[in-house]
Formats: sequence, structure tokens, C-alpha cells
Amino acid sequence: MFTINTIDGNQRMSTQDLLEAINSALAGGETEFHIEASGQHDIGGPLWHPEGKSLKFTVKNPGQRVGSMCLEGTEIVVEGSAPADVGWLNAGGRIIVKGDGGDTTSHCAASGTIYVGGRAGTRSGSLMKHDPLYDPPEFWVLKNCGSFSFEFMSGGIAVVCGYDSEAFESVLGDRSCTGMVGGLLYFRGVARGISAKDTKIQPLATADIAYLESKMDDFLASVGRPELKAQLSNWNEWQKAVPLTYDERPKKANTNVFSFRNGNWIEGGLFGDVCNDDYAVIGLVTTGKYRRRVPVWENARYSAPCEFNCTASIPSQQRFNLLRDGKIDEAYKLILDYTPFPGSVCGAVCPNLCMDECTRGNIDISAQIGRLGTYSVDVTLPQPAKKTGKKVAVIGGGAAGLTSAWQLARLGHQVTVFEADAKAGGKMEQVIPRSRLPQERLVKEINRVVAMGVEIKTGSPVDKGRFEEIRKGHDAVVVATGSHNTRLLPLPGKERLVKGLDFLKAINRGEKPGIGKNVIVIGCGNSGMDVAVGAYGLGAQQVTCIDVQKPAAFEEEIRHVKKLGGEIIWPVFSKEFTADGIVTTNGDKIKGDTIIIAIGESPELDFLPADVLIERGCLKPGDDFRIAPGVFTAGDTIRPGRLVDAIGAGRQAALAADAYLNDSEYQPEQKQKIPAGRISTAYFKKCHTCDLPAANEDHSRCISCGTCRDCQMCLKSCPENAIHREELADGGFQYVSDGERCIGCGICSGVCPCGIWTLTENAEQLNMYKV
Amino acid sequence: METVKMTQDVTVNDLSWKIQYTPERCTMCGSCVSVCSFGAIEAVMERRSVTVSAAHQPEPAQQHMAVPVIKQREGVAQACVGCGMCEKVCPNQAIRPQRNPDSRFNLVARAGGSPIKRGGRNNLLANDRTLDKIIVGRISQMTDPALDSERHTFDILAPFGRVLLPKELPLKVTGGNLSLDSHTPPVNWIYPIIFSDMSVGALSTRAWEAIALATAYLNEKHNMPIRMCSGEGGMPVKLMESEYLKYTIIQIASGHFGWNRIIKAMPRMKTDPAGILIKIGQGAKPGDGGLLPAAKVAEHIQAIRGVPKADLLSPPNHQGLYSIEESVQKMFLSMNAAFKFRVPVAIKCAASATSVSVYNNLLRDPYRICGGFFLDGIQGGTGAANEVSLDHTGHPVVSKTRECYLAAVKQGRQGQIPLWAGGGLGLTGNAAADAFKMICMGANGVFIGKILIQLCGCIGNEQGRCNACNTGKCPTGICTQDPRLVKRLDMDRAAQNIVDYMLALDGEMRKMMAPIGNSSLPVGRSDALVTTDPAIAEKLAIQYVC
Repeated sequence: MFTINTIDGNQRMSTQDLLEAINSALAGGETEFHIEASGQHDIGGPLWHPEGKSLKFTVKNPGQRVGSMCLEGTEIVVEGSAPADVGWLNAGGRIIVKGDGGDTTSHCAASGTIYVGGRAGTRSGSLMKHDPLYDPPEFWVLKNCGSFSFEFMSGGIAVVCGYDSEAFESVLGDRSCTGMVGGLLYFRGVARGISAKDTKIQPLATADIAYLESKMDDFLASVGRPELKAQLSNWNEWQKAVPLTYDERPKKANTNVFSFRNGNWIEGGLFGDVCNDDYAVIGLVTTGKYRRRVPVWENARYSAPCEFNCTASIPSQQRFNLLRDGKIDEAYKLILDYTPFPGSVCGAVCPNLCMDECTRGNIDISAQIGRLGTYSVDVTLPQPAKKTGKKVAVIGGGAAGLTSAWQLARLGHQVTVFEADAKAGGKMEQVIPRSRLPQERLVKEINRVVAMGVEIKTGSPVDKGRFEEIRKGHDAVVVATGSHNTRLLPLPGKERLVKGLDFLKAINRGEKPGIGKNVIVIGCGNSGMDVAVGAYGLGAQQVTCIDVQKPAAFEEEIRHVKKLGGEIIWPVFSKEFTADGIVTTNGDKIKGDTIIIAIGESPELDFLPADVLIERGCLKPGDDFRIAPGVFTAGDTIRPGRLVDAIGAGRQAALAADAYLNDSEYQPEQKQKIPAGRISTAYFKKCHTCDLPAANEDHSRCISCGTCRDCQMCLKSCPENAIHREELADGGFQYVSDGERCIGCGICSGVCPCGIWTLTENAEQLNMYKV
Repeated sequence: METVKMTQDVTVNDLSWKIQYTPERCTMCGSCVSVCSFGAIEAVMERRSVTVSAAHQPEPAQQHMAVPVIKQREGVAQACVGCGMCEKVCPNQAIRPQRNPDSRFNLVARAGGSPIKRGGRNNLLANDRTLDKIIVGRISQMTDPALDSERHTFDILAPFGRVLLPKELPLKVTGGNLSLDSHTPPVNWIYPIIFSDMSVGALSTRAWEAIALATAYLNEKHNMPIRMCSGEGGMPVKLMESEYLKYTIIQIASGHFGWNRIIKAMPRMKTDPAGILIKIGQGAKPGDGGLLPAAKVAEHIQAIRGVPKADLLSPPNHQGLYSIEESVQKMFLSMNAAFKFRVPVAIKCAASATSVSVYNNLLRDPYRICGGFFLDGIQGGTGAANEVSLDHTGHPVVSKTRECYLAAVKQGRQGQIPLWAGGGLGLTGNAAADAFKMICMGANGVFIGKILIQLCGCIGNEQGRCNACNTGKCPTGICTQDPRLVKRLDMDRAAQNIVDYMLALDGEMRKMMAPIGNSSLPVGRSDALVTTDPAIAEKLAIQYVC
């Protein structure tokens, strides 16, 4: 027995002196130690007997860390209380504190036994662990623990018996078991603030009771309170704190906004008074009413450039489409809805504005629209089955008049054309050189007009009186007398001028008007070029064409004149006409025996009633081509123009007259040219000139701008299979996009060669908001 | 020759973003075109005409094909903004926007003589942030105990309202008992991060409600006393009639939008709002009033604000104000009076070279009715502004907040008018760090906005991505009133993201308070901060380290 009193009078042993005394006694074989301590630290460990014998310590008044790092085989009994860290890092010792344990009792104990017969301080049992090679550490407390007990506990068994602790709110203090990940904590009585995010509290199971029963006697005997056994063995008063397993631990905060909104939030939502919202979420790619965009099949909404530029509005893309479909007859007939002169005008003298902006021309060469007209020269149409019984007079048998007559006859009216000349055809017959317009073709086409039921009275000039007679005898009158007064220049010697129109008319009549060797032509329009060509035909040696501005004639016509030896000079301003030619304002002299003027014509309107509106020598009709009740006009009477202009106007005037006869309202046609960006030209391979097919085979090159060519590219490209094709009752067809499938991607619009599909913003109102 | 382009024609390479497209990966499913709210891409046919030779000697053979592709549209009006929705929906990674370093956008986007407008925030300063050069460098190591961030109780609260010095408290002793002799200014102690003012109108109904929902949730379920500021576009009536009003700070700005419905709702309010914030200016476009483009003025906005569909411009200042003194006396008084002196009233100004003077004036106000000074810095966000304002006007908030704080310290008046700082806080996604540093420098708290909508799903950033809040075409349904876009927003998830972020932020606040050993907010504890930048150290009076 090693016995030591650490106080000698006023002298207290240092911790080091005491521990060294113990160590040397132990080295001498001592196994029992009785120590009257005075606050010395670390009494009792880590010690071992050289022969492995058990060591027993009886300690009074120890300092901190009594039994720290204590090894198995060592038993320490503290009579009374011990301060902090009893059994710190206990590695197998049996440590009994009969009084209270201080703070952090059993801190980090990993094996052995620690019994406390009173209370234990804060953070007791914290960081206890269990080394699986050894029995788990046990830590029993008779009464209660301070706050933060069993923090980070990772193993071992802790028992808090809760004796004499009723005065405390919690036998485990506040915030027990924070960070607890292992071990088991048994406690008796009330405990509050046990970390719920680390542990679950459960009643005891049979095995728990068996453990507690098996140890209770030893514990109570050790701390000298065996009489408490019955009081502490009512297992209903016990519970255990079991750490949550890793899997049981929530890996994220326990939040659920969805259920909060449905359970606690403002009913109908925050904006319920001004916003209907079901809070459903639509995908980023949606169909139906939630699509951002909607494709619309807008067949023929836009005019092809050919149709748009043609003043007679001939939809040539449709002619090519019919040809592509093998509907040859229909294709050739279609143009007759717009003009009775596809061969004479389109296929001969027309400048073919239709081809100017042909989309195909941007790829290689414009589709051969003009030439296509010649295929319709011999086409015939039946007379209308239904006659209206209305009589219409057309005064003037030129391009405008005959077109009006043709259209009115086709609409079932009885039409009579009054032509002053011996032959119908107007300038086509009288003025245009036969070289440019084969007369045989013109005759055929005029005959087709006659065959439609139009009566043409040639040699029927109309004066004021005759006009009134005609007007009375007919339900409507179309004035299409053209312009035949050659404009002159009011300069000295103007009497020497030969009128170009008279000159050309004479040639076409087969006469040979006399001219000199040197001919001057004033005016370099097409008419001037015709005069120049005519002059060469009559034997002129030199023709000089002058103009005050850049020549307006087609390049082809100018080239022709130049080829014949003609000279084109501009700008030239005449001052005087003499027998030798022209004196210019510069004083230059242009030599010429004959001066022919071709600077345009003005209409002869004297036969009309005085109340018609005339402006700058021309008629000024309303938007409906009307100049007087029941009297309409078209062509050069309004403004001198091209034949195609006269044909377009002739048709419109006919439609206006028809509306008048039917008491309906004439609606001028509205044309909108297709924006180039709508058309996909990528499909079309560039051809070389030599690859050009015949005009009636050119449907392979026509893109069909703005009019569906029925290629089904959209139908087959739609990623959602939303598009289908429908046959219509009238023999036509349409493509339809099913809104419930369509996602509004616009691939249909993007792949359409013709620019038919328009991708529009989805205009369907969702009515989400209200005031 | 099919397409003739002139040198001045705007082509794709003039735009800020170019679509990178890999036709071999594309299945023409149409998703990208369908999702793009800006109409920046379209499907087109592309000609593939080539002459090839497949023989062992030149034997030319022509191949012609037309293939459908996705193509970026040219032109400023449909310019790609880089939102990346196409990439998000593409099943094959065939398409994505890419920033164009050769962009001439600044040169072509002012056609028609109109300044460039956009949303978002300063796009020039994002990479040079003062806050990123400051670190929490005073760690408790042996000198004092660091706190346990997990288990310690932290008092993370900031005052909204005028705080009186102890000696100013109207205390009297009667019969041995201490009592208040007169009214004291109302003060609400709230979380030091306010969800800042984004208006009904700037945000979609769902986005606004998501923030309100998150606010309520954090209060009710997590005991985080977060407050949300309404913005200047009025208040949802149903919120004003609910208990959740107590989590809302109502804003009034120069446009006074929505106040008819606010006043009419007063008799039906079951509780007081958390505060009133008078907006004088904002950091994103200082000197400008609010701006709500007509594209976003939907029916409900017209109703709440009491306006027709039009571009709604707030004047740059309150029409009834002529001086700082008058603003204090008149605007503060009216707002205090309206809520019977029970609700604290604060003021928000764009940070400015004059901020310290304004703050000093407010501090000296003998009536003590200013309940907070909100400073909004140049990196603050906005739904719509002139780009020149966003990028080239404004004032950094860090040094200005510090100066205001130190000016108050000099007079022994720090903390009396709480300082709240905002404008680019949370810009890098770490709002807790920004908030903590600002608090150490003297802010009582901070306000955050942009990060909230980013949590809702906004993909905009300070590198010029998207920033189309002004167009009404917000691809995420946050800054738009177009139902087809609004319905893209999952409100519950948006709120959930904000809740999660704030819970994490709360943990992060503790993680910074613990090592410096503060269990309450370290307002003005600039000793906790160090910087590796000597200029910043000198300007902010914090320790320089290297």
C-alpha cells in the first residue's frame, strides 16, 4: 500500500512530484495507492504494473483529469467529487467518482468504465468513442449532466439515471447529443433539447433493459447507493437517445415550399385578384395555345414578282405550276383570264416586266414567261353559257378596248366594239412594225375575241352625236380610243415635222411615205426606234435619233437601230427646224432632209360630253375607271403607256363596268409583292444558258413564288408531323398545321421554297391578367 | 449572284453573340427555334452545290443538295442575346450561342438615334470587385476562442428603424419604476439581408410571388426574419390583406405607382408592413427614375399602377421635393404618419460623391424619423435602363458605405440610422461573404436583388449575357409579363431555390462570425478584414497584408 498525503504543513506537492512518486512506487511493485491529493492533475494513468498485476487507487480531492488515459487493470475510486475531465481519454480503467464529476467527465473515453455517484458537468460524455477491438466504454451518472452533454458522441454507452434531478428542466442539460453519431445514451426522467437532427428518442427494448439490469447492481454498489435499485428500475421512466444513421440523416434542409403554398399561403395566390394563374409550368417547347408562334399557310397571299410587275397581273407562276402538274391546256388557257393577246403582246412586243425581277433571275436566268405566251395563241375558249342580256359598247378596238370587250363578253355581256379604222387592233395593227409583231398572230388573237361573241364594227368613228346615240343604246360604255394626236414642238419650222405615228401607220397600211436620205428622228423611245427602223426600211441612208434625255427605248430596240447604222445623240435641245435639218440651242446643226417627231401622243377626246374630267389632255377617271355614269375608260386615254398597261387597265375597266351592270361594287385588286426573304432558292441548281429548256418546260426552273407548288416539303419536314394536306371541294388543296402538335418552330416556313408558310406570333389570347 | 450585301449591312458577325451550330448533329427537331423568345434563329434551306471528283483523275461531277439548317438571323432587332435556351433544349448539343469578340454591336445598335437600352447591371466592372480583394483575416487563434458555428447561438439581426442612444431614450422614474415618457421611433430587428426592391411590373407575377413566398417560408418555417421590399410598382392587394404583410417593406418612389390600392387597402390590413422605403434613386441608373417599357405593362400592371399601356418613366426625383431638408420633413413625415408612426421609414439613394453629406444631414435630423439609409452602388441591377447609365454612371458602394459609417463614428452616432448597402452584392454568387464584409465595414445589413432572380432561373450575367429584362421577352419567365413566358417559370422551385440559398447563406454567415469570435453581427469590425491591395487598405482603413 502506497499512501501519500500531498500536503505537508503549508507545502503542497506539485503534480509532477506526486506522479513521479507514484511511478517509482509502481516500479517497486506497488499495486495499491491511497492518495490524499490536493488538486494534482492526471492521477491514475496511463499506468501498468511491470508484472501485469491490477492497480487500485483510492483518491481524495484530486485535481483535473483524474484517471486520464487510464488503462485496463487500473481501478480508481474517488471519495467525494472530482473536477473536470474525469476519465479523459479513458483507455480501459475503472473509475468511480462517488461524488460529482466536473465538466467534460468521460470526455473522449474509448473503453473502460466511469461511474459518477452524483452529477456530471457540462459537455460530459462528449466525443466518447468505441474502439471495436475492445468492449465499448461505459459512462454512468447517478443524477444528471450539465448542458451540451454527449456532444459528438461516437461510441460507447452512457447512462444518466436522473436520480434527485427533478429540480432540473432536463437531466441531460440543454442541447444534449449535438453532433452525436454513435453509441447509445440511456436516460431516466425528463430531458429537453436533445438534438433532433442527430438523434431519435426511443423507449427501451428488451436488450436495453437487460443491459441496464446487468450493470445496475455494480454501478450502485460502486457508488455506494445500492438502496436505489428499485427506484431506478422502473423501465418505463427510461428512454434512450439513438444517433441517426448516416442514411437517416437529412442531407439538406427540410423545406417544402410546394406544400407550404398549398397549405399556408394566400388562397388563390398573391395576384389572384388580377391574375388567373394555375401555377402549372409549361415546357420550354410547347404546343397548342402556349406556342410562341403559329405557322399559317398563306397560299397566294403574295404575288410572285412576275405577277406583281406585270401591269396585267398575269400570275405566271400558276401557269408553270399547271404545266408541272401536266395540266397543259389549263396552263395555256389561264392567261386568257388576263389578256386576249398572250402571243401578240406577251410573246412579241411586251418588254416583259414580269421577267425583270423573276426570282429565278437571281439564280441564273429569269423563267421564259414572255415566250410562254406564244403557246396560247391558238387556244380557244367557249362562249359563256349564261348571257346577261346587258349591252356594252366599247369605243376603240385597240389593246385596251379589245381586252375590255373580251372580258365583258366572257362575263356574258353583249359587246360591240366601234373601231374608227378599217381594221381592229389599234396600235398593234396600225403602228407597231410587222417585224416586231407578226400580223398573222395578231389576227388570230383578234379573231379569238370575235369568237367570244364580240361584234367589231370597223370604220365606225365616233363623234359627239354618235357617242350619245351609242350611250343611249347600251347599258354601259367603255371608252378606249387610245392616243393618236402626235405631240409637236412649238418651235420655228414645226410645220416641217412629220408626225411619227402617221409615218408608222402609213407603213403598216403598206404605203411608202416619201423621205429624204438623211432622216432625223426626235424622241428615242420605242416609238422613235420603230420610226428609225421604218425609215431605213424605206431606203434612208442615215438616221439620226435625238432626245433631250437618256433614251427610254428598250436596249434591244436601240441596238437594232444602231446595227442598221442609226446614230443616237442625247441630250440635244432643238431650237429651230430648217430644210437642212435641226439647229440646236447650242447652235449646232444636225443634217437631215426629213424630220420625224415621235415624242408621244395625246388622246383625242372631243367626242366626249363636256362634263368628263380632263387633266393635262387626258381623261381622269375615278378609282373605278368611271368617267361618267355608266361610262368607263382604259388605256392611253388616261395615260399613254405600254400595251400591257392598256391590257391591264382594259380588264380592270371591264370588271368595273361589270360591277356597275350587276349593281355591285368594284374592288380594285390589291397586290403585294412577296418579300424575297420568304423564298428558298437553295433548292435550285444554277443552269447555264445552254441548258435552258423550251418555255413550256421552264416549269422546272420556275420557283412558284408565293403560290404553293405542292411539293410537300413542309409536310415531310415537320418534326412533329403536325402538317397534313387536304383536298378541297373545288379541286384545290391546302396544307393544314395541327395546333395541338405544332411547336411553332417554323421549319415549315423555313423549308418552303415558295414562301407560303408565315410564322406569326401566337395571337390567341390567354386571358391571364385582368384589371 | 443571289444576295448582294453592302459593307454597312448588319450581319451576324456584327452582333454580340454568334450561334455556333453543328449541322451534322442537328436533327431539325425545331426545339431551338421554338424556344427562342428573341426570334434570333430560324430554319432555312441551305444550298450545297459542289463539283467533286471521285475518280483517280479529275472527273468533275456536280452534286447538288438543299438541306435544312438552323441559321442565326441578322439584324439588331433579332440579335441573339446569348441566353442559351437553344442549347438547353437541344437534344444533341448541336447549337449554342458564343460570345463574339469581334462584335460591332455598339456601332450598329444605335440606328434610329436611340440609345441602347437593356436590363441587368454594369458589364464593365464585374471582374474588378473591391470585395473580392478583401478577406476575413482576423481569425481567433488562442487570443480568444473561435466560436462553434454549428452549435453556437448567433444573433444575426439588424435594425430597420431609428435607433436612439441610451441617453436619448425618454425614460423617467416614477415610484421607483422606469417607464417611457414618450414615443420612441419604431425599430424592427430583422435579418441583415433584405430582398431588395424589384417591382411588380419589372418581375412577372410568378417571380414576384416566388420571392414573397420564399420570404414567408423563411420566416414561418425557419425563423429567419427576412424582409422583402416591394419595389416601386405597387403591392398585390391580397398580400396587403394577409398576415404576410408583416414581412414586406413597402416602397414609394418618384412615380408613386400603386399607392391608390395601397391606401385603399389600409383599413383592411391585419398587420403593419415591416417598413417603408422611400426610393430617391437607384445605383444601376442614378439620376434616372424607374423605367418600365410598354412591352411589360400588361393589364394587371395597368390596374395595380393605375396607368395605361405605355412606357412608364418615373421622374428622376420626387416632384414635391426641393431639398434634402424638405425630403426629410415632408416625405418621411407623411410616410410615418400614414402608418400611425408604428412603421419605420427608411430612404434609399444611389451611392454618390455626396452620400456622406446626405447621411450627415439625416443623422442631424432633430426629429429622428429616418429609420435607415440605403446606399445603392453602381453594380446594382435593373429591369431597364440606358446602357450608358448602367455601364458609365454610378458610384461604388463599398468605400461609400465605409465613409458614411466612419463619418457617423466620428460623431459617435454610428448605428443610429442603420446603414444598408446594396448594388452588386452577391454578384459572384457568394452573398454571405459580401454581406459579411460590408457589415464588418460598417453596414448594418445589405440588400440583394439580382441574385434572387438568378436563383429563380435568370441566366443573365455581367458578361453581357441576356440582359434583356427590358424587352418583355425574358426567356425564363422572370422579367416579362408575356403569359407564354411567365408560364415557363416554376414558381415553387424558384421559391425553393431562394429558401435553400438563404439557409445555406445563414450557415455561411455563422461560418464567418465564428472564426472572428462574434456571436452578434460584427458591425464595423473592420479589424476582421484584411486586403492584399494597399490602395484598398488605405481607402477603407483596413489592414494591408501580403
